[in-house]
This record gives sequence, C-alpha cells and structure tokens, in this order.
Amino acid sequence: MTKRLVCRVADVPENGLRECEAEGGLRLVVANAGGEFFGVQAVCPHQDVPLCEGLFDGSVLTCHMHLWQWDIRTGAPLGLAEAPLQRYPLALEGGSLYLGGDATALDVGELFNGIAAGTIDSLAALARRESYQAGAMLYRPGDPAEDFFVLDSGRVEFLVGRREHIAPGGFILRKGEVFGWAALLDGYPARIASARCLEESALLRINGKAALRVLEGDPAAGFIVMRRLAALIARYLASSGVK
Amino acid sequence: MRIQVNARNRGFEFDARSRESVLYAGLRAGIDLPYECATGTCGTCKAKLISGRLHDGWREAPGRKYVKPEQHEFLMCQCAAEGDVMLEVSKFVYAMEPGACTPDACTGIVRAPRRLAHDVMAFGVELEQPRDFDAGQFVLLAPAGLPGYRAYSMCNFERGGRQLDFVVKRKPDGGFSEWLFGADREGERLETFGPLGKATFDPALAKNLLCIAGGSGIAGMMSILSRAARERYFDRYRGWVFFGVRMMRDAFFLRELSAFKRQGLEITVALSDEDVPPSARSEWPELGFARGPVHEVAKRMMAGKYQEVRAYVAGPPPAVDAAIRVLLLEAKLTTDNIRYDKFS
Repeated sequence: MTKRLVCRVADVPENGLRECEAEGGLRLVVANAGGEFFGVQAVCPHQDVPLCEGLFDGSVLTCHMHLWQWDIRTGAPLGLAEAPLQRYPLALEGGSLYLGGDATALDVGELFNGIAAGTIDSLAALARRESYQAGAMLYRPGDPAEDFFVLDSGRVEFLVGRREHIAPGGFILRKGEVFGWAALLDGYPARIASARCLEESALLRINGKAALRVLEGDPAAGFIVMRRLAALIARYLASSGVK
Repeated sequence: MRIQVNARNRGFEFDARSRESVLYAGLRAGIDLPYECATGTCGTCKAKLISGRLHDGWREAPGRKYVKPEQHEFLMCQCAAEGDVMLEVSKFVYAMEPGACTPDACTGIVRAPRRLAHDVMAFGVELEQPRDFDAGQFVLLAPAGLPGYRAYSMCNFERGGRQLDFVVKRKPDGGFSEWLFGADREGERLETFGPLGKATFDPALAKNLLCIAGGSGIAGMMSILSRAARERYFDRYRGWVFFGVRMMRDAFFLRELSAFKRQGLEITVALSDEDVPPSARSEWPELGFARGPVHEVAKRMMAGKYQEVRAYVAGPPPAVDAAIRVLLLEAKLTTDNIRYDKFS
C-alpha cells in the first residue's frame, strides 16, 4: 500500500483537532489524544457539520451542533450519537502522519469494534464477502437464520409480514451495521422478516454458531458483543423517551 | 392525503390535512418525527422523498442548506404532501409516549400585550380549545397575514390550559416582533401549532437545576422554575439561575425571579455591557448581579458545584454554544444532562 501523507504531528495541537486533506484527496479530522493520533471522518454522520469545529477534551469528541459524541480511540458512539465515526488508522513516521488502510466493516462495526485484534481476525476468517445488485433478496420470512451480515457498503431494507400484510421494518445504511442477528440468538432458527438490497451492496456473511464459538474463546469480547447486541435489540423495542 | 414514513427501525402511516406540513401532520398523529426548530432553520427534520409530490412552502428556508435536492431531500417542516407520499427518514423514530402532549393546530386570540422592558413585550394567547403543555415547551405562532410560523417558548405550563404566556424581544427585522411592537394587538387572531420541544422538566428528574438564559431565553426557564416551585422541588434540590442581558435596562422578570429566590434558588443577573449599577442591588436585594457574558459568570460561580446537575440553556446561538462548551469541558456534564434551545 502506498503511504499517503496526512499532516505533520506538530500541526495538531495537544488534545486538539485539525482537519486535513490526505494525499489523494481524502478529508479527515486528526485528533491528538495526549500524544496519540487518531483519524476520523471530517463531517458529522448526523448532518454535514465539520467535526473540527467540535469540542475535544483529549478522549471524547463532541459535535457542537447536536452534541453527538464519540470515543476518539474507537469511533464508538456515546450518549446521544446514533452512529459511529468512520476511523482512518494513522501511522507515525519521522514526525509525520500517514494514512494506513481503511478500517474494515468488522473493525468499525457496532458489535465488534474495539474488541481484541486476534478475535476480530478470527471473525474475519469466518466472513465471506458477498456483493449484490439493487433489488436482490437476501432472505425471506421462514428461511433458516444461520448467518448474520455486516454491511460494508450499500443499503438493505426489511419488510415484515406476508403477502398483503407487508409493512416496512426499517433499513440499514452504515458501514459496520449488523443485521440478521437472529443467527446469534438461541431459539430463533428462522427469519421473521425479508431483507432486500435497495442499492448495490457489499456484505460480510458470517455463520452465527461459528462466531459464537470464537467469542466463547474470548469471553471478554463475547461479553462486550452480547451487551451491544442486547442494546441493539432494545433499540428496536424502545419508545421515544428512551433515546 | 396518506403519508408513509420509512424510518431506520420501522414504518409509520398517517393522514395529512391540505397544505399541512409533513412534520406537523406526523407529530399530530403522535409520531415523534425528528425536529428541533420546526420552523425551517435547523435542518433536523430532513427526509428523502421516495414517491409522490410535495409542495415546498419556503424555498429560501435557511435549513435548506442541509438538504440535497438532487437526492430528493427536503425539510419535513416546510413541505406539504400533494396526494399520497412515501418518504424515508434516516433516523430511529418511535411513537410518542403515552401521556405526551400531542401537538395540534389551534386558533388563538392575543391578550394583554404589555411592555416588560424597552424592547421586551409580554402577552398571552387565549386558545379556542384547551391544550396540555409541559414546562419548557414552545409553540409556533402565525398572526393573520404574516407568512410562516415563529417559535416561542411559553412562560407557563398547564394541563387543559386555555392561556399561553410569552415574552418576545424586539428584533430589528423580526417579522413577528415588528408586528407585535407595531400596534396594539389586543384581541387579534393568530394560528398556533404546538406544543413542541423536548427540553422539558419533570420533578421526577430529582437533580439540581442549573438554568442559563440569554435575553428572552428566560421565558422557558420561567415555566420550568414555576413547575419546580409548585412541587417545592427546591426544598430537596439546589437551583441556580443565570440570566444574561446587556444592561440593567434590558432586564425583566426580576420580581418573579426574586420570588423564586425565596424558594431557595440562587439567582444571578449577568450584565455583559455595563458594570453593575449600585441601584440594582438596593432595588433587588434578593438577586445577585455580576458583570460579564452569562456563560462566563456561570462558569465563575458554578465551579465545583456540578454534582448531580441538569442544565437548561436557552438564548441566542453564540451564547448557547459558549454555555454548552463550559458545561461539557469544564463541568463535564454528560450530554443527556444538557438541554438547550437555540433561537435562530
């Protein structure tokens, strides 16, 4: 991979932010967290507000517009934020920061981000990358729920009910979002909704039982993933006062 | 007209009246669609049209800078359906909680407009139908003949209330304030839509209250403080009010704030543009006065007192942003304990 210069270390103030354009054109915000440097997307995933205008205390980044917050180390949403930040791993060399590879959908994913690298690697080894055209049907109600999916790009919608009683059941569009999570639960062997690609989409398909075995081998990661899965499911059950 | 909204988590369907904005129709149906200002400025109610036709009532709305028309994005607060429409909202949307004050349109009559300061007017609106509204909420007002709604916070709160109380600060080119200040408006009709807003206060909160208000941002604080005082909330919890104005001549509600002081609150009037005149302290012995922008006065006086605090902030955007910066970085409050209302 060719190195792409982002900025000089001296350009980013201690516990401060700076918006940079990497060689080749990518805009990102570089945060200096007590001498460690983290790269994240330049604009808030909520509205198009530049995150370099946000507040940063050395560990938590807050968008000033609607107070969405993230952990700068993982990009994980905190508090009011409804979406993670895309991270751009940075490499330090001779006083300058360079762009590494993009974080994968598993790295930034809402279930797996921040867990031990070895465990992520084991999950990545289980993942099969699949591409679909717009309109492709991924599963229908009653289909076996053996695999779950991590969105890499594109958009997937869900429909609940059958025949003339079909109602929209939401959609997902952010890199790292997980769906088909019945495959990670006991006692839910079949799909209860249909999933269809609304646009050309790339997905990681992972067998649920195999993923659970990986997580059993790293109970700390397994605990984090299950906590996040519980929060994710609760979010679909929640009422407006909760969030 | 039938409107279908596909949200991140599920779909909703509701009916809209002719020329009624998609946002107001959805809120009226008890669906908690995303919004903040509800008047075309903030861009929070952005959605994407999937099918059907819309009429955009205000193409110059400042909030349009947040939408991409080529991707069929629009502001739900400004657009009305022309026939059945389907749209997409890229957020989690839920039905309102049982017991929430569901907004609706209602005709009202202006009652008892009166000056509180040289550029501040108080007035009431008598509603044709009784309405529920919580402490800290706002409504939209549109006088006959003036295009578009403006948002104003109530100073009061009520269940089944017929009267809404407001304060309005005169602004150089503010359509509504010019209308209000331009003639005696007693008895004039206006259209209302509300109540709106989630920066509400309920005594079950059980936290110390910090209110930071710039100018007429004090209006919403008055309803929150009245609600708290009625429950004798300040027997159990502490309360601080910082009320920022330019000069003594701009201040108002000082009698009402003095009454809150007797309930145990600490109240400070911050004067940004003049030293505190000696007469202020002798005339209002129960209030504190300090020189400086309201967020700096609050920062100075609140240091070390932020345990178990819920903050409410309202006023012009620069004042609100400055106060939020203090609350996040100095006070280390979590964002769910910062409720704010930016006038824009």
